[in-house]
Amino acid sequence: MNTSQDNKWQALLALSAPTFAGEISPPYGFMTSMLAQLRQERQDEQQLVRLCWRAIFASLAALVVAAGVTVSVHGHFNRGNDFDPGMRGLIQMENIQAS
Amino acid sequence: MDQPIDVARCLQRWQRGDQSAAEELIAHLYPVISRIVRIHLPRREHEDDLIQEILMKTFAKLHQYKGDAPLTHWVSRLSLTTCLDKLRAQKIRPEIRWTDLTPEESDVFDATWFEGSTRDATDVIHARDLVDKLLSTLEAEDRSLILMVDLEGHSLEEISETTGWGVSKIKMRLFRIRNQLRKTIQTLEQRP
Repeated sequence: MNTSQDNKWQALLALSAPTFAGEISPPYGFMTSMLAQLRQERQDEQQLVRLCWRAIFASLAALVVAAGVTVSVHGHFNRGNDFDPGMRGLIQMENIQAS
Repeated sequence: MDQPIDVARCLQRWQRGDQSAAEELIAHLYPVISRIVRIHLPRREHEDDLIQEILMKTFAKLHQYKGDAPLTHWVSRLSLTTCLDKLRAQKIRPEIRWTDLTPEESDVFDATWFEGSTRDATDVIHARDLVDKLLSTLEAEDRSLILMVDLEGHSLEEISETTGWGVSKIKMRLFRIRNQLRKTIQTLEQRP
C-alpha cells in the first residue's frame, strides 16, 4: 500500500540519488597517505613483535638467573649438614653419626 | 579500477610485504567502500577519513579472510559495520518540523510534492540534505536498512546475508521504518 508520504519519500530519494554515488578512484594524495599509513602500521607491528620477543627473552633470562641463585643458595645451606663448623668438628672428632 | 585483479595473488604478495600489491588492493576496494560510506553516512561526514579507517581495518584483518566469498563482499560487510558504529554514536533527532528546514529544503519538499520533478541541479543537493534530515530521525540500523532497500534495491535475502539479520526481522523493521517516515513527512506537510 503506497501512501502519498511513501511517494514523497521515493521522489526525494530519487532526486537525491546522484549524491549517493561513490567515487570510482581515490582522490589525489589518498593512495600515498594510505600506503604511508600501512607502512607505518607494519613497522609498528614488527617493532611490537621485536619488543615482545625481547621481553620474553628477558623474562627467561631473569627466570634462569633466579633459578641459579635459588639452587646455589639452597646448595650453600645444605652443604654437609645443618650444624655449624665447630659442632661439625666435634662430631667428626667423636665420630658421632650425624644423620 | 577497470581491470579485474587477481585478489588471491595480490593477498599473497601483500603478505610477503609487496607494497604494489597493497596499492592494487586499495584501488580495487576503494569504489566499493566509497559507495557504502556515501550511502550509509550523512553527507559531510569526513568521508575520506572513514574510507581510510575502513581500509586500515581491512588490511589489519586480511588474515581472517578465508576466500570463500569475494573479497568485495567481505569488505562491504566490514564497511557497513564501521558505518553503523559511526551512526550509532550520533544523536538521533526524535522528530523534525517544518521550521527545521532551510528555505531551499522547503522549496524542494514542495516541488517534489506538487511538481514531482527537479527544477535545477542545486535541488539535488537540497534534496539530499532533506533526505539526511528525514533519516536522522531513524536509528542507525533503520537508516541503513531503508537505504539498502529503497536506494540500492537489495533483496531481503541479500540484506540478510550482509547484515546477518533474519528476513522476518528485516520485514518487521521495514514496516516500522516506513510508518515512522510517513509520520515525519505528514508532520512536515502539516506545516507549523
